[in-house]
Amino acid sequence: MSGGGRGWDGRFPGFDVLDQVRHWDQVTADVVLARTCSPASVKFFTESEESCGRALLNLLTGQDGKAVPVLEMVDSRLAAGETDGWRYSDMPEDGQAWRDTLSHLDADAYQRGGTPFADAAQADQLKLIQAVQDLESADWHGLPAAHVWSLWTRYACTAFYAHPFAWAEIGFPGPAYPRGYKNTGVGKLEPFEVGDAHPSEDPVREDV
Amino acid sequence: MGVRERNESAWLLPNDGTRTNHRLRRDMRQFADSDEIDLVIVGCGAGGSVMLQRLARAGWRVAALDAGPFWDPDTDWVSDEAGSHHLYWTDPRVIAGSDPVPMGSNNSGRGVGGSMVHYAGYTPRFHPSDFATHTLDGVGADWPVSYPELRPYYEQIEQELPVAGERWPWGDPHGYPYRPHPVGGNGEIFLRGADKLGIMAKVGPVAIANGRFGNRPHCIYRGFCLQGCKVNAKASPLITHVPDALAHGAEVRPDAMVTQIAVDKLTGRALGVHYVTGGRERFQRARMVAVAGYSIETPRLLLNSASSRFPEGLCNDFDQVGRYLMVQGAPQTAGRFDAEVRMYKAPPPEVSTEAFYETDPAKDYKRGFSIQTVSPLPITWAEHVAAQGHWGPALREYMSDYVHWSCLGGLCEFLPRPENRVTLAGEKDSYGLPVARFSYSQCDNDRALARAAQSVMEGILHAAGADEVITIQRYAHLVGGARMAEDEQHGVVDRYGRSFAVPNLYITDGSVLPTQGSANPALTIMAVAARTAHHLAAGIS
Repeated sequence: MSGGGRGWDGRFPGFDVLDQVRHWDQVTADVVLARTCSPASVKFFTESEESCGRALLNLLTGQDGKAVPVLEMVDSRLAAGETDGWRYSDMPEDGQAWRDTLSHLDADAYQRGGTPFADAAQADQLKLIQAVQDLESADWHGLPAAHVWSLWTRYACTAFYAHPFAWAEIGFPGPAYPRGYKNTGVGKLEPFEVGDAHPSEDPVREDV
Repeated sequence: MGVRERNESAWLLPNDGTRTNHRLRRDMRQFADSDEIDLVIVGCGAGGSVMLQRLARAGWRVAALDAGPFWDPDTDWVSDEAGSHHLYWTDPRVIAGSDPVPMGSNNSGRGVGGSMVHYAGYTPRFHPSDFATHTLDGVGADWPVSYPELRPYYEQIEQELPVAGERWPWGDPHGYPYRPHPVGGNGEIFLRGADKLGIMAKVGPVAIANGRFGNRPHCIYRGFCLQGCKVNAKASPLITHVPDALAHGAEVRPDAMVTQIAVDKLTGRALGVHYVTGGRERFQRARMVAVAGYSIETPRLLLNSASSRFPEGLCNDFDQVGRYLMVQGAPQTAGRFDAEVRMYKAPPPEVSTEAFYETDPAKDYKRGFSIQTVSPLPITWAEHVAAQGHWGPALREYMSDYVHWSCLGGLCEFLPRPENRVTLAGEKDSYGLPVARFSYSQCDNDRALARAAQSVMEGILHAAGADEVITIQRYAHLVGGARMAEDEQHGVVDRYGRSFAVPNLYITDGSVLPTQGSANPALTIMAVAARTAHHLAAGIS
């Protein structure tokens, strides 16, 4: 995992969402557990798009892709044409936008260090990504950088936070049917929830 | 008359732990395309389902065609965010303008039940002032209908959903059929902060019975209201109006995408609708057509129904179709507490205030906003956190703090503007039809409202003890696009939803609303449809 931050491991010691699978309805369990199986092979991205996309998506989600196969999750959505149902008028449709922007990212990497993005040093990769975010609504290879950033982070976050690994990391128990919750209210836990071991370690406050 | 005598839907559902009355669907009446039925309805959501149920009860031969599936909550819905993608209308659409509005999961439903399958469940009424904003405040438009004319239909629908909440002190003060729900962590924070600041906040109004209702069980507070209620506790037309409609001889034809409304060249009357189902093109004849496809698809269908008589699109002789489309500004502000809020426990809709709803003469903007609890699940919360600019390890670290956050949403009455509209894009969908292009731009009043709502939410969260607050700018809901007006120069339909251009064509969904208030629109869409249905049923008898 890439550096930075104080770390978020261990905030919910021993909490594993999958311990509760027997309490989930079968339809939901099938959908969620499929995400924990070995990922489907890549269908949508070409080989070079796959390498570039994997490096980008792993950096955006701060991981190496072993815990949550974000690249494969994004690939299967694009292969199935499962878009969000809209695109900005100044962007191509999502599949094409992914292909185009990964190719632009490779071009930037070549210009900077003479390698494709996936082969660049991580420090350079981080700088290249940061440069796109810093452009805000300015132009990046003929596209508004903010809309590119929106595309990347939307797909990355939707994939990563669909995974039980990510839920455990944030203390969220996942599916709740048919059991529901009985102890609602500030400071109240269900027997199967685990309290935050470091409740006053507010990442926002520490940054101030 | 008791609600069961008017609408037996909740008693027609099974009480054995399953959620769908399969026999009712299996025995459903099925009309032939060649039958000239009394009414064909396009879209089986909030507006279409109420029309279907009311007119079936009145003895009409009526069918509703919906582009999406006839959902079974047991097998089609999951207690999971990403797995609920199929509940949204995700056919391609293009968004443009200076402030483009994302569609999909935020505001667009698919299948029987429409967007109410995935709405949060808030069902406030509009205020009386919403019907005359032009006269009262010099902005927006006056409705050709007044609040008192709509009130009886609000009351009917509130009983049929049914709605739970405290006695409502704002607008036209009124009570609700069910007592308010107990609140979870997020509602508790909102009530605490509002109380400290002397802002009145109330629990409700939500279309979730507090108790059993017919064969619908009590809410289990699992927090997945926006993913389709697997419990049958949260109201959607799938369980509040469709069962009773079927029991009275209506047909629901799912997976049937209406592509064009046919109009007789000589008489100028609607003849029925072209639709595609199972890959085949078909035509349903009808004496009358009601369009209820909501604010994007309704204008799109009218524009795609151009003919020699209506070269610019059906009902578009005066360039009104698709215009005055509205979304509410919905800034979402979250506050961080050392205590664990765990806002995912309990329904996202819990507590509201309408204390800022009306125009305040002391402010430099017109109209106002409401504030409600919203309780995003992890993917939606990640969008809120990522909007602060975080990615990589910083994103993960912020996200690990999820259980400590409380989240409020503003609903700002952004004003109707003619340039905010649906037109047809150059690209086509899988049916070969031009897709909708929705252009949206804010005005200064809109931006001032969003700033004011954010400031109040920050104040409430700080007063409740939050040490930090973060905000994301969002939109919520859709209305307008085929508005009702006094005449055809200013709108598409009259005060009963009848189109000015085609005497047997009605529009019975959110697109007829001339203003949007700061209220979630579902209840008003249903009430307006119920009024139109009442008018039609009375006319035929």
